[in-house]
Amino acid sequence: MAGMKTATGDYIDSSWELRVFVGEEDPEAESVTLRVTGESHIGGVLLKIVEEINRKQDWSDHAIWWEQKRQWLLQTHWTLDKYGILADARLFFGPQHQPVTLRLPNRRALRLRVSFSKPLFKAVADICRLLSIRHPEELSLLRAPEKKEKKKKEKEPEEEVFDLTKVVLAGGVAPVLFRGMPAHFSDSAHTEACFHMLSRPEPPPDPGLLQRLPRPSSLADKTQPHSRWLDSSRCLMQQGIKAGDTLWLRFKYYSFFDLDPKADQVRLMQLYEQARWDLLLEEIDCTEEEMMVFAALQYHINKLSQSGEAGEVASTDPGLDDLDAALNNLEVKLEGSAPTDVLDSLTTIPELKDHLRIFRPRKLTLKGYRQHWVVFKETTLSYYKSQDEAPGDPIQQLNLKGCEVVPDVNVSSQKFCIKLLVPSPEGMSEIYLRCQDEQQYAHWMAGCRLASKGRTMADSSYASEVQAILAFLSLQRSGGSGGSGNHTQGPDASAEALNPYGLVAPRFQRKFKAKQLTPRILEAHQNVAQLSLTEAQLRFIQAWQSLPDFGISYFMVRFKGSKKDEILGIANNRLIRIDLAVGDVVKTWRFSNMRQWNVNWDIRQVAIEFDEHINVAFSCVSASCRIVHEYIGGYIFLSTRERARGEEQDEDLFLQLIGGHEAF
Amino acid sequence: MGESNDDIDQMFSTLLGEMDLLTQSLGVDTLPPPDPKTPRAEFNYSVGFKDLNESLNALEDQDLDALMADLIADISEAEQQTVQTQKEFSQNQNYSASLEASNFRGTASVGYGADVPAVSISQYEDELPPPPPDPMLDLPPSPPPPKPLSKEEEEAQAKADKIKLALEKLKEAKVKKLVVKVHMNDNSSKSLMVDERQLARDVLDNLFEKTHCDYNVDWCLYEIYPELQIERIFEDHENVVEVLSDWTRDTENKVLFLEKEEKYAIFKNPQNFYLDNKGAKEGKKTTEKMNAKTKESLLEESFCGTSIIVPELEGALYLKEDGKKTWKRRYFLLRASGIYYVPKGKTKTSRDLACFIQFENVNVYYGIQYKMKYKAPTDYCLVLKHPQIQKESQYIKYLCCDDATTLNQWVMGIRIAKYGKTLYDNYQRAVARAGLASRWTNLSTANTAPPGSPSTGLKTGSTQSNGQIPQAAPQASTVFQEAQRQAEAAKDKPAHLPHDPGAPRAQQLRKPGPPTPPAHRSSEPGTDPPPPPKATPPMPRATPPHFDLSPPPEDLLLPPPPPPPPPPPPEDEDEVLPPPPPPPPSEFSDAPPDFVPPPPPPPFAAPRAPPTGGVKRPPALPRRSENPGPASGEQDFMSDLMKALQKKRGQLP
Repeated sequence: MAGMKTATGDYIDSSWELRVFVGEEDPEAESVTLRVTGESHIGGVLLKIVEEINRKQDWSDHAIWWEQKRQWLLQTHWTLDKYGILADARLFFGPQHQPVTLRLPNRRALRLRVSFSKPLFKAVADICRLLSIRHPEELSLLRAPEKKEKKKKEKEPEEEVFDLTKVVLAGGVAPVLFRGMPAHFSDSAHTEACFHMLSRPEPPPDPGLLQRLPRPSSLADKTQPHSRWLDSSRCLMQQGIKAGDTLWLRFKYYSFFDLDPKADQVRLMQLYEQARWDLLLEEIDCTEEEMMVFAALQYHINKLSQSGEAGEVASTDPGLDDLDAALNNLEVKLEGSAPTDVLDSLTTIPELKDHLRIFRPRKLTLKGYRQHWVVFKETTLSYYKSQDEAPGDPIQQLNLKGCEVVPDVNVSSQKFCIKLLVPSPEGMSEIYLRCQDEQQYAHWMAGCRLASKGRTMADSSYASEVQAILAFLSLQRSGGSGGSGNHTQGPDASAEALNPYGLVAPRFQRKFKAKQLTPRILEAHQNVAQLSLTEAQLRFIQAWQSLPDFGISYFMVRFKGSKKDEILGIANNRLIRIDLAVGDVVKTWRFSNMRQWNVNWDIRQVAIEFDEHINVAFSCVSASCRIVHEYIGGYIFLSTRERARGEEQDEDLFLQLIGGHEAF
Repeated sequence: MGESNDDIDQMFSTLLGEMDLLTQSLGVDTLPPPDPKTPRAEFNYSVGFKDLNESLNALEDQDLDALMADLIADISEAEQQTVQTQKEFSQNQNYSASLEASNFRGTASVGYGADVPAVSISQYEDELPPPPPDPMLDLPPSPPPPKPLSKEEEEAQAKADKIKLALEKLKEAKVKKLVVKVHMNDNSSKSLMVDERQLARDVLDNLFEKTHCDYNVDWCLYEIYPELQIERIFEDHENVVEVLSDWTRDTENKVLFLEKEEKYAIFKNPQNFYLDNKGAKEGKKTTEKMNAKTKESLLEESFCGTSIIVPELEGALYLKEDGKKTWKRRYFLLRASGIYYVPKGKTKTSRDLACFIQFENVNVYYGIQYKMKYKAPTDYCLVLKHPQIQKESQYIKYLCCDDATTLNQWVMGIRIAKYGKTLYDNYQRAVARAGLASRWTNLSTANTAPPGSPSTGLKTGSTQSNGQIPQAAPQASTVFQEAQRQAEAAKDKPAHLPHDPGAPRAQQLRKPGPPTPPAHRSSEPGTDPPPPPKATPPMPRATPPHFDLSPPPEDLLLPPPPPPPPPPPPEDEDEVLPPPPPPPPSEFSDAPPDFVPPPPPPPFAAPRAPPTGGVKRPPALPRRSENPGPASGEQDFMSDLMKALQKKRGQLP
């Protein structure tokens, strides 16, 4: 319509020329010039552009980006006038979806196409749908930290980048499971591998790498990552992200709704990975005892995933799961009651008999280990002076039910002791069993452990327990010899390659030698050895959530009327004012008492009013106040989920809460 | 079928006889629970094991044997019946005989000696399903009293039933039961039977019905260790028998039934635990008056997430130093993973904390009057120890708080850290229960009443009340005599032989305990004419004859069994127990195992018995030792039995 001209070539309508660049935001880029009027619709303009380019291609994803206003022209029925576009507008005709590299919580890189035109909240939802992570509202994207130019660039090995840019999801259809994975992952070997990357635990990192990676040394350091969150209400393009950029995908809000091992395979795994890295990089502190449990769980999870079956079988076939559970139950029941015993007596009652050296620490005794004939039957340990006297009365008989079993092992010095703390009315009696070699130790140890839980060696888990102990011993062997893993066989060679340093935060690497660490991890491991992969993950996540500092995002702020910077911690239910220097909590406010909060964009100040006229105001130092604002709004949004359970997330409410009221 | 059935019946009758004796000796209602149905149920007692665990262990083997024999007998019976040959019959007899034998060996009833009113648990195991429960469970399937029923017609049916029964027995087998004496606020007490599978919640429900108290969520079972001066609330999900099994045989520990507002304080006022600690003190003011809705959301937040939130507790507490009477002040922190303290010169950041204790193997108790006992700075002490530890030991940890509030916060916090969401679930169940309660009270009273009245009809004297010793005692003795006579006259089965061996064993076991027993025994023998030396043996023998007495089963059945317990649930026993204190102590302490459970009767016997029938009375004592279990249990299962019978009766005709 536009561009009517006379025979002389003069335009007689009010049309004017509009130049649109095709492709990247690049002055050198190809461009087309159209003749338009103010009444031209965006849709018509798009059509014209495609005609001009005259290339056969799928243009459906393309749209016009108005550079000066940093805005997409997505309303095709709007006219240029309505948008206020004049001839001087710099417009780019490009795809709305562009590839970026995502750094997942498990630290792996993944290329995929992300919407550059939708608000980030929606874009993340799309990403999560592709990755089959439920509850995308808990996640968001961060800018990658600027890399400090280091000369040793080469040291970083080329890492594998998974590519999902080709995968297109049918919109609006619930993902169908195929061969245990969402159907869109089963297309090719590559995508399948990608799914495995998403849903299986990563091996423990190289301890050296852990040492090199930056760790926060103070509260102030912990505020840094939070300055990099992208704005959920604006699109990537508006936030200066370019195609091919690297972004981090992370769980942002520590309020995990409705974790379901069956439906949340990937989510659970990524959550686990994020928790693991949080701990390994000391983003969150824990005590030594807690670290050992975390390490044991990691070891266990890793072992299960390497042995293959666990992950897939368990998660893909819920029916099997149930069956297993039922069988387990049955087993337990049988064990707990007479019937099995009856059966046992019909067949054989498993027992261990051997010469062991026994030591009972007593006051005022210098006696060391003495050789005894020891019989271990059911859950009872009896020892005799010699084998000949075995039919008679034992020197002592101990029921190990409820006892504490502590390994006291040093592989390099061939010391294989089991310390038993057996409760009795008078207190705990302590007794040490010294075994000759690994095999003997593993069998007796496994028996003791089962007995302490009231189970006998007839238990089906006995054999696997023995194997686990042997595996751990070999791990200790390699750990003791500096992690080189130049040692032999072992039923699972995987365990051998493990270095306990990869399982704990670096400060424990400094504090303990590997051979000190291994037994402690082993000790903690015995409490989790029976967990399945998902159970172990859940346990890990729960233990992480139980840490006092869990889920606190730190910001450096300055409270109104205060002259020094302080830390504001934001958790899912409260705000915490923390002394920057000492780290002590000064004051806690709970969201449940909050009346309202306001942001004064001009002076970058957040003002919050709580019940009983308590008013708090602070300006943000370490991050934009809109990030703080979004955090608060986000948590409040998430807390509404309980009521709307099962329904689609109310995006509008979210956007309203995290409010795009910023003055441009 | 007839033959083998007879066999079963015989066994059953033996059983019944035993039961009757037990009941009678207790002075509880005498009427035998003559239920032909529970053919093989028997009570087993083992007396005087050195400690509970030992006795349990010992039992297991025997249990197995008995169980196995039982099972085989059942199966073979079924098979044989089809063949219907005499041979098999004889075989069966053998089985039954062996069965009996094994039972006797296995029997155990352990009483916890207690000085007087103190505790008392008596324990007995039944290898075969205890009669009372059995009938109930089996009601539909269990072979209806074989005799009365016209049998042959449904042979197949019977077979199936038997197999079913056998299976059920396998399940039921080895259900351990304790008779627990529970002390009330008002110094009275009640004995009730607690089986292995019951949780504190079940026991509470039971007590609710018996006491007609309000069903407040604050009611709890409360464990007291007089020796250590510690006490603790049973968690509703705890297995009562398991906890009590940790007590030693001669323990003074008691179980109380009372209201403790600490039990669920955190759920009633979560703000006191979750909000007032951190930050400024002004917080306290505002949180005190929290409305119900915010409380609810606070609870939801703390207990309904993927992981529960343990209250953030930290502060200076006094720690009793190992083996010394000094208390050292340290800064402690509570975390989900345990209690930590700040080592000297360190900060309270996570990385510096040293672990004080983890909760996996310990329970938390209140320490009582530790200012006196251990020179504690205050009386607000808490104690952490492995549940099995019963004596002073270096493995017990003592902490002392500045004030009661702090103490309660810590104890609650530790419980949360230890039990997690279970505690909240318990609370919700308790609340639900409290809501239901009022409705049920009416029903339950109605139920209990009927059984009582019939019983009285049957045997007036005994039925009146358990408490009435004089009446009950004579009856028991007479019955006993009769039984003995019959036993002697009637059948000398191989089964009896095993008995005797069993008896000696029991005595041996007893020895370890208190030396005093002999005195008692001397009295016992006198009372029981037939088995001069040991009281225990007579019981079994007496049973068979007894059965004969009970036979009128069907008719009598309904009314008799429940009588004593149901009618005057709360009062009878309560009253009984308190009085004994002075006289019984000596006796009890001597022969703890046996007596403890039956507390009510013995005391009477000693003090008051003389008048009634001096000679006979004494014998009762030994029995009681065994009886305790069943007797007290009777209340429960008698009524159950009753119901079952009634039901059955309705079906049969």
